[in-house]
Amino acid sequence: MTALFVFQLRRVLRSWQYLFFTVLLPALFTVFFTKIFGGQAASPGEYQEYAQDYMVSMMCYGGLGAALGATIRLSFDRASGWLRQLRVLPLPGRTVVAVDVAVGMVLVLPSLVVVALVGRFVNDVQLGIGTWATLLGVLWLGSAAFVALGMLLGLALEEKAAGAAIGILSVVLAALGGLWIPVWIFPDGLQVVARAMPSYWYGELGRDVVTGGSPAMAAVVLVGFAALFAVAAVGVGARRPLHAVAG
Amino acid sequence: MPETPALDVRGLTVRYGGTTAVHDLTLTIARGETVALLGPNGAGKSSTVNAALGLFRPTAGTVELLGREPLAAVRSGGVGAMLQHGGLPSESRVGEVLRLVAGRYADPWPMADLVTTTGIEGLLDRRTEQLSGGQRQRVLLALALAGAPPLLVLDEPTSAMDVEGRHAFWATMRSLADRGHTVVFATHHLAEADAVADRVVVVDGGRVVADGTAAQVKSGIAGRTVRFTCTDRTGLADLPGVTAVGGSGELVELATTDAEATLRALLAGRDRLPDLEVRGASLEQAFLTLTGGTR
Repeated sequence: MTALFVFQLRRVLRSWQYLFFTVLLPALFTVFFTKIFGGQAASPGEYQEYAQDYMVSMMCYGGLGAALGATIRLSFDRASGWLRQLRVLPLPGRTVVAVDVAVGMVLVLPSLVVVALVGRFVNDVQLGIGTWATLLGVLWLGSAAFVALGMLLGLALEEKAAGAAIGILSVVLAALGGLWIPVWIFPDGLQVVARAMPSYWYGELGRDVVTGGSPAMAAVVLVGFAALFAVAAVGVGARRPLHAVAG
Repeated sequence: MPETPALDVRGLTVRYGGTTAVHDLTLTIARGETVALLGPNGAGKSSTVNAALGLFRPTAGTVELLGREPLAAVRSGGVGAMLQHGGLPSESRVGEVLRLVAGRYADPWPMADLVTTTGIEGLLDRRTEQLSGGQRQRVLLALALAGAPPLLVLDEPTSAMDVEGRHAFWATMRSLADRGHTVVFATHHLAEADAVADRVVVVDGGRVVADGTAAQVKSGIAGRTVRFTCTDRTGLADLPGVTAVGGSGELVELATTDAEATLRALLAGRDRLPDLEVRGASLEQAFLTLTGGTR
């Protein structure tokens, strides 16, 4: 299990696109958005609000991108035949799935931590140590919904569609979920769409923590999304056997 | 207590939607045998192999590997498999994949020897994306052998190889058989079955249509052809072993199941047999005879 975990982790980390889109880009956006919008703040208090808000949004953007990017790749392993190869090794199928989920969860952490460090030391975001810990903790756990979504898509999509989904989905989820532009700026119709996005609730989860609100509602919605995606993933996995029809 | 067979397939039936890929197939392979499953594309070889490896549940019938259910046998490390649609992971090096796989087995094949046996020297640091088709096949064989499993199941192992690579691969397979491994391989290359297997099971339309040594499959079906020229054909059909008299004009072709007896009788009755030729039917002829009839 450990050997397979290290092996799979190393594979994802070898992809420079992965690190660029899930760690570097959210970190750069954090600085960029905060300088632009926070720079127009009337008071230090208002700046702090902007800085906190964009940091949370970019932690969410990076986190969900990492969760999806690490798991949708499952489709590539199906296409290459590696999943099938794993099936004929002395290795239970459950272990293979568990390792993919674990890799997805672990790879969310660099995005969250790097953006948080940028928020703290570049943008001077001020939070209590307990709030920092809670923020990282809930956003890490909340990313499970996107790991589940990524597993579902990785199992359901063909290689090309999966490749496109990795690039597009996190952008769409971030934009519609109000992670790039706050939802309160959206027109009414789009606000309804935003509230149907798991990414919106993921953002809410983080904002509730930094503003001292209760994250219970957001947590319940995310657990619901996670359960939905996980059940669908199991269903799709059972329906798509790995055997070849030819020959 | 008799040793359980390496592979025991009983009444295997595989259906995909409306098509039946494997029809009530029964096959027992003893330990130590080297067996070719020979058949054209679509004959049901891969379906049989995949069902045998537990990659899916057959419509009917049972499969046992080394006396166990397929999944249990695979989990226990008793089986090494090379799949037709198996593959190597992206973003990894050959050596990493090989060590990962070897690490799953209690008693893996010593790495240095495995590398030499499968001819993948110099490839261990290579990225999997940078391998040629033949190199990939050899790496996949190395993965199948990594655990030194008693039973090897190889599905079209040489499909991406050139002639030279194929011959080297055959030599490797023969040496595996010599080391006591049971080797079962699917192929549509007659020459491959002939060169490697000590038993050939011809599969067509999801059924076993012939089963024996390569020589038996050849002789049992097509026999041999005795050819010569003469003008008088009387009595030829009654010679020992002769099953058919063919040819045209002065050229006579006798199909025989016992070339020696036919020749003795011919020579006893004649002074001369101009242009005499005795030909063994090739496995190809046998194969076409066998599979042509079921189409």
